[in-house]
Amino acid sequence: MIRVRGLRKEYPGGSRALDGIDLHIRRGEFVALIGPSGAGKSTLLRCLNGLATPTAGHIEVDGVEVTGATPETLRRIRSGIGFVFQQFNLLRRLTVLENTVLGRLPHATRWRSLAGWFDPADLARARATLARVGLDGLDTRRIDTLSGGQQQRVAIARALVQAPAVILADEPMASLDPSLAHTIMELLRRINHEDGITVVTSLHVLELAQAYGQRIIGLHRGRVVHDGPPDSLDGAATARIFGPGLAGGAA
Amino acid sequence: MSRPGRWAGGAAIAAVFIWSAVATEVSLGRMIEGLPFMWDFLRRMVPPDPSVLGNALHGAIQTIQIAVVGTTVAAVLALPAGFAAARNAAPPWLFYTSRLLLNAFRAIDTLVYALFFVAAVGLGPFPGVLAVVVYTATVLAKLYSEAIEAIEPGPVEAVRATGATSLQVLRWGVLPQLAPQFLSFTLYRFETNIRAAAILGFVGAGGIGFYVQTYLRLLNYPAAASVLLVLVVLVMVVDFASSRLRARLV
Repeated sequence: MIRVRGLRKEYPGGSRALDGIDLHIRRGEFVALIGPSGAGKSTLLRCLNGLATPTAGHIEVDGVEVTGATPETLRRIRSGIGFVFQQFNLLRRLTVLENTVLGRLPHATRWRSLAGWFDPADLARARATLARVGLDGLDTRRIDTLSGGQQQRVAIARALVQAPAVILADEPMASLDPSLAHTIMELLRRINHEDGITVVTSLHVLELAQAYGQRIIGLHRGRVVHDGPPDSLDGAATARIFGPGLAGGAA
Repeated sequence: MSRPGRWAGGAAIAAVFIWSAVATEVSLGRMIEGLPFMWDFLRRMVPPDPSVLGNALHGAIQTIQIAVVGTTVAAVLALPAGFAAARNAAPPWLFYTSRLLLNAFRAIDTLVYALFFVAAVGLGPFPGVLAVVVYTATVLAKLYSEAIEAIEPGPVEAVRATGATSLQVLRWGVLPQLAPQFLSFTLYRFETNIRAAAILGFVGAGGIGFYVQTYLRLLNYPAAASVLLVLVVLVMVVDFASSRLRARLV
């Protein structure tokens, strides 16, 4: 599903975010990406859908090369990848339904979507998706009237309505009350199980990664230092990922 | 700031004030001597002459029309100019050129532009419209560009991440963040343009100002009073309506 080879990313000024990543993520996997802040989790996720451009290396999603893709190909690749952001990144003045149906933009009739209309089929699909994430009845509410947990569910609905093969989530819990973490993770797990959508999510809480991830990939300074099922995450592995002082804790 | 520094600053401000007051011949005595004349001026205005209300209304309506056309055209012109003058939307050479030009044009007020356009296209409301357009377009472009610079990049990126085209990203990621502010700025300029257009008539550029100036020059104070009353009501009504509208936009 996702193949990464020799991926490197340097930012102007020489700071190295990714330092040679090789990965193969199979269809239907639920992958938790862990590591201290600055390990390159966000950069890796953003490279996967072309929001960031790597310095070197290759990425293939669903058999299509992301690196060096033309703008049109890149749009097609992105339409098959849902992305959930830490800060939700919703349009706060628009309604829940409007925000959700934006996930259908690549499939919408071009001029209609620019004029501000959506196809009834896409709207129906957005409503159904909102019901699935537990937000029925809130269609016409403006985003800025919702709680953080509800906003993140709208963001998940926006990704889900794309009917993607993959959902990438960048610290989806980090802006939320800890008590909501399980609701959101449970939702991602259901999507993974019921729709067969591959999920790759970065997490900063180790316990969540172990509880929900079927496979845990540990990053440290832009390199993969651990890759295996949750029970393989022993003290030595945690020390490799977070450094000896922080073993067993969160970063 | 240190104590002697504050002292020196205070002394400097006082010196500039006194220097300016002397140069502008400020005199309490002369103002007191003038009081009876002010009173006389006001007394002659009462009662206002209702027979010129027709003229006053005609002038008021023309003032509104100048502001409506001027502000609308200015808003359309300010849209591309605003993007050109936004640091996060334009390449540096375009950004710096646009900012420089906008600041230069904005340094000159509507009334001065009106003098210029009256000389260029002749008397009437049309040069007034042109004057409003030039000044308002530069002011709005500046306000728009600041709103564009304050845009949240996250939602824009999220729309791009769905696989939307650049135009769709602009329509759904950028526009919803800007539209309410742009509308609010434009309405606010419309309010101020009513006041600006009201004095355009003083230089022959149409609107209610023409009647104010004509009646004052003819020493027809009751007629001037009627026109001024219409002007006051006009400004108050527009201010009220526009600020109500703006409050609903945020």
